[in-house]
Amino acid sequence: MDHLFLAWKNLWRNRRRTIITLAAIAFSIMLVQAAHNLSYGVYAGMVDSGVRAGSGHIAVYRQNYLESRDETLHFPDRNLITEITAIAGVEEVLPRLYIPALAQSSRESRGVMVIGVDPQRERRINPFLKELNKNSMVRATDSRDAVIGVRLLDELQIKPGQKFVVTAQHQDGKLHSELLRVRGVIKSGMKDIDGSLIMIGRERAGLLTGSSGSVHELAIILTNSDDKETVLGQVSTLIEAHPGIEAVNWERAMPNLANAIKLDYASQKFIFLIILLIVTIGVINTLLMSVMERMREFGVILALGSKPMTLRIMIMTEALMLGLLAAAIGTLLGSLATWYLVSTGIDLAAFVPETLEFGGVVFDPIMRASWDPAWMVKIAGYVTGLTLLASLYPAIKAGRITPVEGMRHH
Amino acid sequence: MSLIELKNVSKIYRLGNQEIPALTNVSLTFDEGEFAVLAGPSGSGKTTALNLIGCLDRPTSGEVIVSNLTLGTASSKQLADFRLHHIGFIFQSYNLIPVLTAAENAEFTLMLQKVPKLKRRKIVCQLFADLGIDGLEDRRPADLSGGQQQRVAIARAMAANPHVILADEPTANLDSHTAEELLALMRQLNQEKGTTFIFSSHDDRVISQAQRVIRLEDGRLADDSKESQ
Ligand SMILES: Nc1ncnc2c1ncn2[C@@H]1O[C@H](COP(=O)(O)OP(=O)(O)OP(=O)(O)O)[C@@H](O)[C@H]1O
Ligand SMILES: [Mg+2]
Repeated sequence: MDHLFLAWKNLWRNRRRTIITLAAIAFSIMLVQAAHNLSYGVYAGMVDSGVRAGSGHIAVYRQNYLESRDETLHFPDRNLITEITAIAGVEEVLPRLYIPALAQSSRESRGVMVIGVDPQRERRINPFLKELNKNSMVRATDSRDAVIGVRLLDELQIKPGQKFVVTAQHQDGKLHSELLRVRGVIKSGMKDIDGSLIMIGRERAGLLTGSSGSVHELAIILTNSDDKETVLGQVSTLIEAHPGIEAVNWERAMPNLANAIKLDYASQKFIFLIILLIVTIGVINTLLMSVMERMREFGVILALGSKPMTLRIMIMTEALMLGLLAAAIGTLLGSLATWYLVSTGIDLAAFVPETLEFGGVVFDPIMRASWDPAWMVKIAGYVTGLTLLASLYPAIKAGRITPVEGMRHH
Repeated sequence: MSLIELKNVSKIYRLGNQEIPALTNVSLTFDEGEFAVLAGPSGSGKTTALNLIGCLDRPTSGEVIVSNLTLGTASSKQLADFRLHHIGFIFQSYNLIPVLTAAENAEFTLMLQKVPKLKRRKIVCQLFADLGIDGLEDRRPADLSGGQQQRVAIARAMAANPHVILADEPTANLDSHTAEELLALMRQLNQEKGTTFIFSSHDDRVISQAQRVIRLEDGRLADDSKESQ
């Protein structure tokens, strides 16, 4: 208790220096916490729209489909949709057929990707369909309605309401065509989607290839992405009854997105590391200065009968207090910054092109943070630890002097 | 058995390859309750001798024995502990800890001894009254005069009730009037409580107040009033 008291008083010996050091540490904590929370929010947003338009948080495939995208690797979904939907935490299960095909209007033809979906389920989840009004959506799984990418629409030189034909290879080896009618237009901002997507009912799609009642993918959307691993376990158990079928998380299903995030975060981590390194050097400097100018006093304290270890502990306690105080202030500032970034966010619309793709999803120009309290505590703890570490050398140095040497300092 | 014994003590400092003999073959004994001064010009070895008596430094040769503790064989930790419990120090430039109040400074050794706070405060309040600085307990050293600071330093040295108090030129930074007052106070404590005082000075007026005068010249014992009696 007495030592804490003395350390606390010593900390405020040079008030201005302590405040400046405190501000530097706290500011760096704030910066790192806010930057992390911002990325955390932006990544979460990307993952969210990525999984909703793509594979879901968890996806179920025939084995090898993921690697080969071989459209013969479909599987009958039977009761799987109902069974998986019953698992706690599952928001929606989206059945999908992916069929490479040729689209032909009276004027043009293009290679396209036909996706056979369950229109009602898909509309609730898929961000590409959010903007479509009710009259622009595919009405039934077996209707001839099609929702198509805006660029594809242009290239085929057709208009909503007009007809076109898609042709794909049927299981029997022959080519099979279906007549479709443009009902809605998707404007996602992404080249692949807008230029080649045709979304139709899954049964109509099944007719194209003869794979009715089958799917290539069951995209499972969760209410809370944190449940991913638990639900993945349950889904895996469930599909054990269906040999040859596997369940994977979105990181495996969409490696592009996962890697883009990983890479982006790695470069950020590197910057965090540099910030913390600079701050640590500053703290070492401050602590060393404060120790060097007190050598005479340390000599006196040692002469009075204090043990070198007591002195070392005192100096490290000062550093610990500095670190804890900075961590508290920094986390408070970091929380304020995060709160602003969560509620208001940063609008990059003026700085980025209208649509920007990142790892296969559209980058939202308004970046919003999201709270990651565990990480904030962790970084505050790290910085406190670093401050303590920074005091090691000054403490050892102070503990090494003899009382006589110390008292000869001026 | 005397309280402190220096047997043929020499101390040689090394500066690079230069050897500086600070003390040469000094033999001295001090008994309990003495009020002795180490006198001598600058560089004569007063501080060196006090550092040896105070267990702050080890002799190059010879033996220093303080209260049955032989300096040469004790570990630094033992010496620190011994100083804490048996020796009080007063310094020329007071050397109070600036961030602590007068009372907290005086309590410092008691704090190191882990004496509980209330007991500490009681001891120190009594000492402050004895030293005529009661009422200044909560002032910082910077807000005290030199004389007042040195009284706080005396309180700090006295608080743990040591056998011996060592004071290296305790009055050198004070005006002559304050110096005399302070010396009278030390003498009074010496007589009332029986605490041994050994201090150094090159000021004749201070030296004349001592009960025993030990003169050093160039690190050698030149004169000891006790021996010549
Ligand atoms: N740490 C040291 N390293 C080298 N030489 C030293 C050291 N301490 C003292 N000396 C030398 O030893 C001699 C005795 O010094 P000491 O400090 O004991 O003298 P003093 O009588 O206390 O002098 P003053 O009245 O100036 O305080 C001097 O020549 C001094 O320069
Ligand atoms: Mg001296």
